[in-house]
Amino acid sequence: MTEPIIQFSHVAKLYYLQEDRTFKDVIPSMLFGKPWAKKHSVFKDLNFSIGRGETVGIVGKNGAGKSTLLKLIAGVTYPNSGHVQIHGRVAPLIELGAGFHHELSGYENIFLNAAILGMHKREIEVKVREIIAFSELEEFIHVPVKRYSSGMQMRLGFAVAIHVDVPILLIDEVLAVGDRDFQKKCLDRLQEMKRKENKTIIFVSHNEEAVKSFCERTILLEEGKIIADGTPDEVFRRYNRE
Amino acid sequence: MIRTLFLPFRSYKYLLLQLTQREIKARYKQSFVGYLWVVLNPLAQLLVYSFVFSVVFRFPTNNVPYIIFLYAGLLPWGLFQGSLATATQSLVDNAPLIRKVAFPREVIPYSVILAKIVDFCVSAAIFVVMMIIFRVPFAQTSIYLVPLFLTQLFLTTGIALMLSAANLFYRDIQYLANLLLMLWMYMTPVVYPLSLVPSKYVWLYKLNPMVGIIEGYRSALFQYPFEWTIIYWSMGIALITFCIGFYLFKKSEKVFADIA
Repeated sequence: MTEPIIQFSHVAKLYYLQEDRTFKDVIPSMLFGKPWAKKHSVFKDLNFSIGRGETVGIVGKNGAGKSTLLKLIAGVTYPNSGHVQIHGRVAPLIELGAGFHHELSGYENIFLNAAILGMHKREIEVKVREIIAFSELEEFIHVPVKRYSSGMQMRLGFAVAIHVDVPILLIDEVLAVGDRDFQKKCLDRLQEMKRKENKTIIFVSHNEEAVKSFCERTILLEEGKIIADGTPDEVFRRYNRE
Repeated sequence: MIRTLFLPFRSYKYLLLQLTQREIKARYKQSFVGYLWVVLNPLAQLLVYSFVFSVVFRFPTNNVPYIIFLYAGLLPWGLFQGSLATATQSLVDNAPLIRKVAFPREVIPYSVILAKIVDFCVSAAIFVVMMIIFRVPFAQTSIYLVPLFLTQLFLTTGIALMLSAANLFYRDIQYLANLLLMLWMYMTPVVYPLSLVPSKYVWLYKLNPMVGIIEGYRSALFQYPFEWTIIYWSMGIALITFCIGFYLFKKSEKVFADIA
């Protein structure tokens, strides 16, 4: 493997789940000595590393810890113990609506979204035509995003994310929204980026075909533990058996 | 620490600008007069207050027309109140973003305050026009408006950082903040002059940092005598509030994504 770009060592992450949110719930439970929150441990001791230029699929059932893993890589949340080391900037593919303002036009949202992902004005101006062309939304680019279908929003979001010049790209399940042609176009584009720009791509998906065709390595998570790590074929054989 | 303080204005300058633009643009989309509301709102408020307080009550204002006297207090107060009310909600409103992308979180409340400052500048231009219409001379002491405005900004930002973070943990904060802001306005000489406060309580009254700021603006504009002790007090409180606010915000920032 090449030099690691993402390294998790002994990572533990837990969330506090508060069941009682309001005053009228909290007071009685305090009187009866109930703890104020329940701990939910996602990872206990997670160790792995990903090398520069690898494309890694993360698979697993709902609640296995895939999203938390991406959040730790994106640097929005932090481990309770252990270390997460990331070398280089990360661009998460932002889910529908998160980075968009629905009252603004598609064009305005490109600048907003790209700025959120850390691009500067000059960079965006150079790439804005390319982004619009990729999204195939030329006709609607000055229409408020709230008039877009969810597929159109996804296309715009995806088009922005893949034009951000960062070494690590996180893709979380969003491809499910686009139609088949656009999905294929995205995967082709990702393939091309992988080949030419040596990007590290982390791909979370339930789509077996997409993972198999795109990723060279797959990690299977179950209840916060890595139970398989290898080529997509091997890992899916194990996943499907369960 | 100093580097952290300036990060939003250096590496995240363009993000700050974009979020500020979003704040301004999005607010009046799909409205007929659009940005004009920024002007219409304070003007309407001004008319109501000046009717109530110059026709119904009468306040001594030292030869300055009441409407000008009022505007000089209402304008910066509006900035203060508007910034805090919106900033308190800002992190909650941007929760999806906080859960996804890493960037210094203070950029979000900062952008709200910057957008309010833009609105403020528009209203301030109208104020200048009104001063000309009412033939209120421009005093040389107006230069003191700058440090007073900076004081207000530090105070606003400090409180905004605390409230916005606290509101992520408990939404009660946004309701509480609106209530307290309303009370706070009447504890500050915005619609009435300081001279009307009973002298027995005036020392207590002056502990409110907004008193020194609002009174300072009027002294600077209308050549009332400056009361430096309360102005220095406000400056001190503003700086301390900002430091505490920034410190608490940065300390709690790491868990924002987990609780948002």
